[in-house]
Amino acid sequence: MTKSISRSSLWVVIGVALAFLTACDNNPYTPDDSSKKILYTWFREAPKTLDPAVAYTTSSHQFTGVIYPSMLEYHYLKRPYQLTPSLAKSVPAPEVLPNGYVRYRFDMREGAMFEKDLCFEELAGVEHREIVASDVVFQLKRVADPAINSPVVSVFSKIAGFDEFIKALTEARAADPDFSSRRIDQQYKEAGDIEGLKTPTPHTLEVTLKEPYPQILYWFTMQFTSPVPWEAVVYYDGQDGRDHLRDHPVGGGPYRMASYNKQFRVVLERNPDWWGASPAHRGAPGTVYPSEGEPGDKERGRLDPKYVGQPVPFIDRVEFRREKEAIPSFGKFLQGYFDLSGIIQESFDQVIKNDQLSEEMVEQGVRLEKSVSPDVFYIGFNMDDPMVGHAAGERGRKLRQAMSLVVDVEEFKRVFTNGRGVPAQSPVPPGVFGYEEDYQNPFRVVDKEKAKKKLEEAGYPGGVDPETGQPLRLTFDTADTTSRGLLQSQFYVRAWRTIGIDVEIKATNYNQFQEKVRNGAYQIFNWGWVADYPDAENFLFLLESGQARSVSDGPNTANFQYARYDALFKQMKTRANDETRLEIIREMKDILAEERPWIELFSRENYALYHGWMQNVKPFGMSVPFYKYWDIDPDLRTENRAAWNRPVLWPVYVLVALFFAILVPGIRTFYRERQ
Amino acid sequence: MLLSNLLVVVILMLFAGLVYYVRTNRLWRESAQSLWKRRPIAVTVVGLYFVVGILDSVAWVGGVDLSKTQDVVAASKPRTIIDRMFSPETRSERSYSAPFASKEFYGGADLTHPGSYWLGTDRLGRDVLYLAFKGVKVALLVGGLTSLIVIPLALFFGVSAGYFGGRLDDAVFFVMSTLAAIPGILLLIALITALGKGTLQVCVALGVTGWVSFARLARAETLKLRESDYVQAARALGVSDVTIIMRHILPNLSHLMVITFALLFTALVLSETILAYLGIGVDGSWGQMIDQARDELSRDPIIWWNLFGASMALFILVLSVNLVGDAVRDILDPRTLRERE
Repeated sequence: MTKSISRSSLWVVIGVALAFLTACDNNPYTPDDSSKKILYTWFREAPKTLDPAVAYTTSSHQFTGVIYPSMLEYHYLKRPYQLTPSLAKSVPAPEVLPNGYVRYRFDMREGAMFEKDLCFEELAGVEHREIVASDVVFQLKRVADPAINSPVVSVFSKIAGFDEFIKALTEARAADPDFSSRRIDQQYKEAGDIEGLKTPTPHTLEVTLKEPYPQILYWFTMQFTSPVPWEAVVYYDGQDGRDHLRDHPVGGGPYRMASYNKQFRVVLERNPDWWGASPAHRGAPGTVYPSEGEPGDKERGRLDPKYVGQPVPFIDRVEFRREKEAIPSFGKFLQGYFDLSGIIQESFDQVIKNDQLSEEMVEQGVRLEKSVSPDVFYIGFNMDDPMVGHAAGERGRKLRQAMSLVVDVEEFKRVFTNGRGVPAQSPVPPGVFGYEEDYQNPFRVVDKEKAKKKLEEAGYPGGVDPETGQPLRLTFDTADTTSRGLLQSQFYVRAWRTIGIDVEIKATNYNQFQEKVRNGAYQIFNWGWVADYPDAENFLFLLESGQARSVSDGPNTANFQYARYDALFKQMKTRANDETRLEIIREMKDILAEERPWIELFSRENYALYHGWMQNVKPFGMSVPFYKYWDIDPDLRTENRAAWNRPVLWPVYVLVALFFAILVPGIRTFYRERQ
Repeated sequence: MLLSNLLVVVILMLFAGLVYYVRTNRLWRESAQSLWKRRPIAVTVVGLYFVVGILDSVAWVGGVDLSKTQDVVAASKPRTIIDRMFSPETRSERSYSAPFASKEFYGGADLTHPGSYWLGTDRLGRDVLYLAFKGVKVALLVGGLTSLIVIPLALFFGVSAGYFGGRLDDAVFFVMSTLAAIPGILLLIALITALGKGTLQVCVALGVTGWVSFARLARAETLKLRESDYVQAARALGVSDVTIIMRHILPNLSHLMVITFALLFTALVLSETILAYLGIGVDGSWGQMIDQARDELSRDPIIWWNLFGASMALFILVLSVNLVGDAVRDILDPRTLRERE
C-alpha cells in the first residue's frame, strides 16, 4: 500500500512540474488584459498625499492631475506653453476695477459631474452631483485653512479677503472649542466669505486680486483650484474604517482611481462621468485630440489624421506597479512590460550612442523623446559679501565676470550628465516666453584670456590678492555632501584655479547650510529653481531685491539688489507676452549678464524612452500628466512581448534530467534492498 | 617653515629615539630581531607606507612651470615630494581613462599624457595612482593620531580604575558600559554632526568611541598586577601610588599597548572608510575614493580602476599591519614565549 502511494505521488510531482514548464512565461500581468488598451508604468514611492490642497510633487500629480478636473489646462502640443479652457468655457481676461483690484471671471461648463462615489450616496442619497463654482471656493478655503497646511497659501493671499478669512477661521476656532468639531463646510460658512471669491450664478466664479498678477491663471491649471466636493472631505475623514481624503481622491476628471494600493499597484480607469465624454461638451478643447502643434510634431507622428479631432481618452486603464529599484524596472521596460521609461545612469552608454538611440533599441522600435524641463541651475554669489558682492563695486563685478568666464558647462555636461542639459545663458529657460535660442551672454562663453584680463582689472593680477601676496581665497558653500556632489564642486573649483583663484569647498549638511544662509555667512553657492509655471516672472523674481534673503527671507539667495532691475521687473510682471515685454526681459538679461550675481549653468534635459506601440506621446517638462492623449497598439505590444521573452527552456530540461539521474541509483538501491 | 615639515622632523626624531632605545634594550632588541625574522615582507610594506606618508608631508613652495600648468594656484602653494613626483597640476585629463590607455574612455579622444597612468584616471581626469598615494597620509594620520588619543585616554582611565578601585572604578566602568552600549556607528555620526567635518574632528570622534575596549583590558590587567608580590612589597615600603604605577604597572602593560596599537590602527582606518561611505569622512581618503567609485561598478563597460586603486592600497596596508601586529603579539606575549621555550 505504502509503495503505491509513494509511486503515484511521484508521478503527480512530475506531472505538475511539466505542466509548469509548458505554461512557463514571465508575464507579470493577467493574460486576458493583453488585448486591452492598458498603459503599464511604474512608481517608486507612493505619494504622501493625494489631497489636492496639499499635493505638490510629481509623484502625486501623476494621479491627481487626471483625477481632479481643473478650470484651465495646457495645450498638449504647442510650445511655448499655452493655456486652453477646460472646466471653464474660456480663458478669462483680467478686468481692472476702479480701486486697482483685478477681476477674473470664469464661466464654468454646465452639466459637468463629479465621479460617482459612495460619499454622495451616504451624505446626500444621490450617486453623484454637478460641479458648481462654490466647489472651487470650498477648495480655496481649504487651501486657506491653517489646519490643512497647504504649501501655496502665499500665492492665493493675493486674492482679496483671503488673509482675512484665515484670520477669521483661526479666531473662530480659538474662541469656541466646539467650533472645530462642526462639519468642515459649516465651519467655513461660519468663518465668512472670501471677499475676492464670488459666485454670482452657480456656474460663474469671480476671482478678485488685490494687485495685478496675470500668472494666477497658471494656478488654475493645478489641483489647488480644482472643484472638490465637501461631501468627500466630510465623509473621507479616516474615522471608523473610512479612507482618508489623502488616499481616496474624489474628482471628475478623465480618469478615476480604481485601486490605490500604495505598496503594490495603483490603477486609474476611464471615468464614464467625465464632462468631456458627455455629448453636450464634445469637441471642446481638451476633449478631443488637438489639430495644431509646434513645428516638428507632424514629422514625429503627433498629428496623425487618425487622431486629430477624435474624442479622448484613448487608453482605458493606467496601471502603475510599484518598483523600488531602478535597474529591475528598466529591465521590465526592455522586456516590454512597461511602456515607457527613463534611462538609468548605469545603462546610458548602451542605450544612447553619440546622442542617438543605439541600433538595437531602434530595431526594437523604441523611440527617444528629449525634453528640456523649465528649470535653471546656477552658481550664485552672495552680493552682501564684502569680497564678491555689491560692496566691492567695480572690483567685485570684474571678479564675478572673470569667474563666470571659466566655468565650462559643456565639459560639465560631458563629465557628469552624459551630455544632457541645455547650457543656460540667462535665468529664463527654454519653453518660457523670453527665452531666445540665439541669445549669447557675453560672460557665459569660456574665455580664459579674457577672464585673466578681467581679474587683472579687478586688481587681482594672476589671481593674487595684493594685500596678502597669496592667491585670492574664496569659499564655495554647498549642501551636497555626497561624493558625486563633491566631484561636481571640485569641477568648478578646478576651473577657477586655472586663473589663480583659490576656492575652498565647504560641504555641510542641509541644516547647517540653511543656518549659514540665514546668517549670511556664505560667499559662493550653487542652487536650482524648478518652475511653478512657465512664465519668465517665476524665474526673474529670484533676483528682485524685495525677495532678497537678507531683507525678507525670500528666495533671492544671491541678495542681488539693483534699482533698474527692480523697476523693469515691476513693468514686466504684469504685462502680457508682447514685444514690449520681450524688450524688457532683454534689458533685464543684459543687466544680469553684466552684473553676474549668478553663473547660469544649465536647464535639465530628460531623455525618455517609449515603445513603438505608444502613440501621440510628447514630453511636457512640467509635472502635468497627459495620458488622455496617448494611445496604445495592444496587438503590437503582445506580439513584441512574445518575441522578446521567448523562454530559454533547455537549462530546465537539463536540471530535470540531472535530478532524475541522481534519483536512479537511489531507486535501484531501494528495490535491491527490498529483494 | 611649514607645520607639516616641523612635524616630520619631530616624527623622524621620535623614530630615531625609538630605534636607539630598541637597540640598547636587550628585550626589545631581541623582539625586534625576531619580528624582522618572522615577517620581513609585512614589516617592509608597513615601512614603505610610512615613507610615502613622510614624503607626502615634506613640502615647499615653487617649482611650477606657469606656462604649462592648468592650476595657477598650485604655483604659490607648498607642494609635497609626492606632488612633485606626480605633478598633478600638469598631468591631468578631461575624464575617465583606463590604466595605460592612450585614448579617453568615453569618446575616444587622444589623451594629453598617453600611457602614463598606471591606474587610469578618475571622473575628473585625475591620476588614480596619485590619489591612492595621497590617501596614505590620510590613513596614517587617521590611524596614528586617533591611536595617540585613544591609548593615553584608555590607559589613564583603565589603570586608575583598576589600581584605585572603589567608587572611581564604579564611575569609570559606568562610563565605559554606557559608551559600549551605544551603537558605535550612530555615536560616530552624532559626534561628527556635532563637531563638524574635518580630519581632527573625525579623529576625535573615532577616539571617543574607540577607547573603551582597551581601557577595559588595561583595567583587568591592572587589577591583576595590583595584587602581585612586588607591588604589595612596594606599597608596604611606602612607595607612592604614582611611582608604583609608573614603575611597576605601566611597564607591564607595554606589550598590550603595542598589540592594541597595531589592531586599533587597522580598525580605525577601516572605520574611516565606512564614514566616508556615509559622506562624513576625511577628504582625500581611500574611503572617499571607494564611495565615488560605487556607481562606476554598475556601468557597462565597467570602470574598475578607481575602486581597485583605493581598495588595494587599503587592503595591503591593513593586511600588513595585521600581520605585523599578530607577530608582535606572539613575540611579546609571555605565554607564547613560554610555549616556544
